[in-house]
Amino acid sequence: MTTEAAPPTEKATPIKDLLATNDDLLKETGYLFGLKDLKRKQDDPGGYEAVWQILLNICNTAWDVGCRVSSSAIAVEGGDALWALHLPTGEAVAVSRGITAHPGLLSHFLRQLIEAGYEDNPGISPGDIFENNDPHYGGIHPVDFDTTIPIFYGDELVAWASGVTHVMDSGYILPGSIGFMNPDSFADGMPVTMERIGQNDQLHPWYEKRVTSRTRVPEFVMGDARGRLAGCLTIRNKVVEAIDKYGVDYFKDVMKEYVEDGRRYAVTRVKNQAIPGRLRKSNFKDLAMKGKRVIMPNQDIDLLFNLPLEINIDKDAHVTFSLSGASSWVPFGQNITPPAVKSALLNAYSHMVGFDMTNWGPAAAWTLEDPPAGSWANPYPVNYFASAGVAWAPAVMWMSSLYESFGRAYFMRGYIEEVAAGAATTLTAEFSGVGQYGTYVAGLSLEQASNGAPARGMADGENSAWCIYTPNADFGNAEVTELWYPIVYLGRNVQPDSGGYGTFRGGLGHTAVWMVKNTPGIEYQCGCAGMRSKVLANHGMYGAYPVWPDRGSYAHGTNLKELIDNQQPLVHERGDPEDPIMANILTANVLETNIITPFITPEQLQEYDVIMHPISGAQALGDPLERDPEEVAWDLTKGWTRERIASDVHGVVVSYDEAEKEWSADAAATETKRNEMRDARKKRSVPFKEWWAQERERVQAKENMDPAIINMWQGSMELSPGYGAELRAFWNLPEDFTF
Amino acid sequence: MPEYDIGEIEKLIDGELPWPRVQEIMKDAKDAGRFEMWVKILQGRVAWAEPILLPLTPSLFIVQKDGNNRVVKCKCGQEFGDYRVNWKLSASIYVRDSEEDFKEVYRGSEQPDPSWTQIREYSCPGCGVMLEIEAVPRGTPPDFDFLPDLDTFYSEWLGKPLPEKVEFTDKTLDTVKEWSTSS
Repeated sequence: MTTEAAPPTEKATPIKDLLATNDDLLKETGYLFGLKDLKRKQDDPGGYEAVWQILLNICNTAWDVGCRVSSSAIAVEGGDALWALHLPTGEAVAVSRGITAHPGLLSHFLRQLIEAGYEDNPGISPGDIFENNDPHYGGIHPVDFDTTIPIFYGDELVAWASGVTHVMDSGYILPGSIGFMNPDSFADGMPVTMERIGQNDQLHPWYEKRVTSRTRVPEFVMGDARGRLAGCLTIRNKVVEAIDKYGVDYFKDVMKEYVEDGRRYAVTRVKNQAIPGRLRKSNFKDLAMKGKRVIMPNQDIDLLFNLPLEINIDKDAHVTFSLSGASSWVPFGQNITPPAVKSALLNAYSHMVGFDMTNWGPAAAWTLEDPPAGSWANPYPVNYFASAGVAWAPAVMWMSSLYESFGRAYFMRGYIEEVAAGAATTLTAEFSGVGQYGTYVAGLSLEQASNGAPARGMADGENSAWCIYTPNADFGNAEVTELWYPIVYLGRNVQPDSGGYGTFRGGLGHTAVWMVKNTPGIEYQCGCAGMRSKVLANHGMYGAYPVWPDRGSYAHGTNLKELIDNQQPLVHERGDPEDPIMANILTANVLETNIITPFITPEQLQEYDVIMHPISGAQALGDPLERDPEEVAWDLTKGWTRERIASDVHGVVVSYDEAEKEWSADAAATETKRNEMRDARKKRSVPFKEWWAQERERVQAKENMDPAIINMWQGSMELSPGYGAELRAFWNLPEDFTF
Repeated sequence: MPEYDIGEIEKLIDGELPWPRVQEIMKDAKDAGRFEMWVKILQGRVAWAEPILLPLTPSLFIVQKDGNNRVVKCKCGQEFGDYRVNWKLSASIYVRDSEEDFKEVYRGSEQPDPSWTQIREYSCPGCGVMLEIEAVPRGTPPDFDFLPDLDTFYSEWLGKPLPEKVEFTDKTLDTVKEWSTSS
């Protein structure tokens, strides 16, 4: 079929019918909307590019307007928001800066509205405002509110404007927005389920009443609602101006061409940079909650998630993603739906595959196989009430494998500058209680939004300058954060050696040290939006050691005021992992320096209590014995690595010049030491086959396997029989073997 | 589409290009001839003569042997067998799965839980270079990180078909089956 086939007349055709037509055209022609030729682009490439830039600017203007109207810390200081322009059928065309996972979710929400027959009931009219935050109908987690308004030109629906913000509290069972503790969807707070929440460009009064009675910081939640709407109205008004200038036929044509161009761009990048074949990457994340403060009895458990990734790149550069082997749904807010996983992939694509033309198009350049029914990535077929409180948590760690895997494909092709060795984690800090102004506060610090960047194929990653969930990494200003929450920064330091150990290290993370101040009491939630505390990431690309686990620290009932009054040294950094500074300087009723995360403080924290919150670095690449000795010495001089690591892990012989305050490496002595270390490595290693023969016995006996691991394997093998069969075959286990 | 001098690509590989220039290369469209340059540079850096078909990692390559055998080979010359079998099965391995073993690398609050994770260090039996590290729970089969479809790549993506085709299939479990039978 070609584009010569008579296209349906959009004006006369219900949008719902267009969805089916568009799906058929993609299937039959391989092109979105059957656009074999991008005629507007071919006829006037300059105009095509100019209008694209105008649409981007419109979306970014919406971002500015929306964030300023919003006034919430997360939108204003953290920029956790996004606005977009869509086709009438829902596909995102152009998007603002912000979190690039959302265009897919917003597109999916619009498609859901159309498929559910909203054209007929309740109808779609100028001035309508629709909203959704319900994961059952296209949301990712309920703190992300998706709002959309139709854009009419005359009496014709020609586009949609949308906006999303991560609100500070949406009424979860516990305060805040990182609902990892939510036991089921009934704990997921205030639902807005594909509703018309306003008409004539105004929010209905009952919407505000519901926000007021069902969220803990309604003034900020309503600020966000107004901000989303203001951004959408900005897009609508500016788009109508653009149509006035360029004509409605041109606008309608070019909007579709941008989306198809986005698809082509993604396909071309894969074909030009990667290699066809099959990539596989295992990864795991823990959620160890046994013995901690939980909500329901079935949450008193330690869990391990299996996050397997398989990528197949075919001859046409079409990419297929599989989650075969994913472990079971969990009784926490860490389940995600397939549409949200698909949208998360758009985020990964925006980082790793295509950087221009970020819209719905790339989603047509790949296929996500249905995740195993009943897994954390597809819970509803087995448990319709599984919670998605912070659905992003497992998905974002799964996505990290995509970064490394695409990096491998790029490396093989020679594009080593595009390699990314694997992402950092997302350990969040939230506060809830009475703040310094005497009012209730619940909200998220954006500290975690600036991790280290992954190592590249030929260079270290950058420190505190990157974030897996947004291209706009920004941990906000310390001074502004102090205005939002009753805390004072005692430190915000680069954490040495937090980027793994390799030829090239990941960018380093940092440690924030906070003193609680001006509050009668707050809770600190050290939350999981994608972290590991018991296990390491399975990264360490090409022979590097992965980044260490995330561990928390805090002190309650301290002598800090006395130290301040006496002008004695305070706590500004973590220090030695075996002898932390906090334990040496502070005395306290509760002093925890190595807590398995996530957790919520069992006590209300009070004046002069101390919190030490780690923000991880990203992953390293290459044999650590091949790191340039001068780089190791330079890191020592900057305080970015430690002598023990320089010697024991990198094999570098160093000395310190007291006068110059500089470290230097002894090249000859280093070479000798490294040769000895390689020899030692060879001596202690055994042939794989020998290890396999012993290990299969241990696997069969379940030797030294925590119950969380056994539970994980049971779920993975039951939900994905093929995955289970391959695991049994590899270890030569009986066909009926189960863990 | 940009074109680069092979000397500049060599500097890029060796980390010797100034960062602003690297950023320019990153932001620009990709140079179509990169793969050929990449292979040429790497071929010049190994002491053995078999043609490199695909660089797999900084140390491992798929090379063309006589008789249409495509094998994985380390830069030191150590061979790891058919590229369709996970090369890790031919590597040396050292596993850390206790607090004591972890200590050389991870200590105190930086240490993972040994009953939750094992660190598998795959190195070359020939030169001892660390090839890959896996951090996984017991029971995880080693990742077969990449099984390339070499014939499709050469014939359909590069337009330079290899002399003889081989089947694109994962043969790892065949090797394990042989071990199981012989043990």
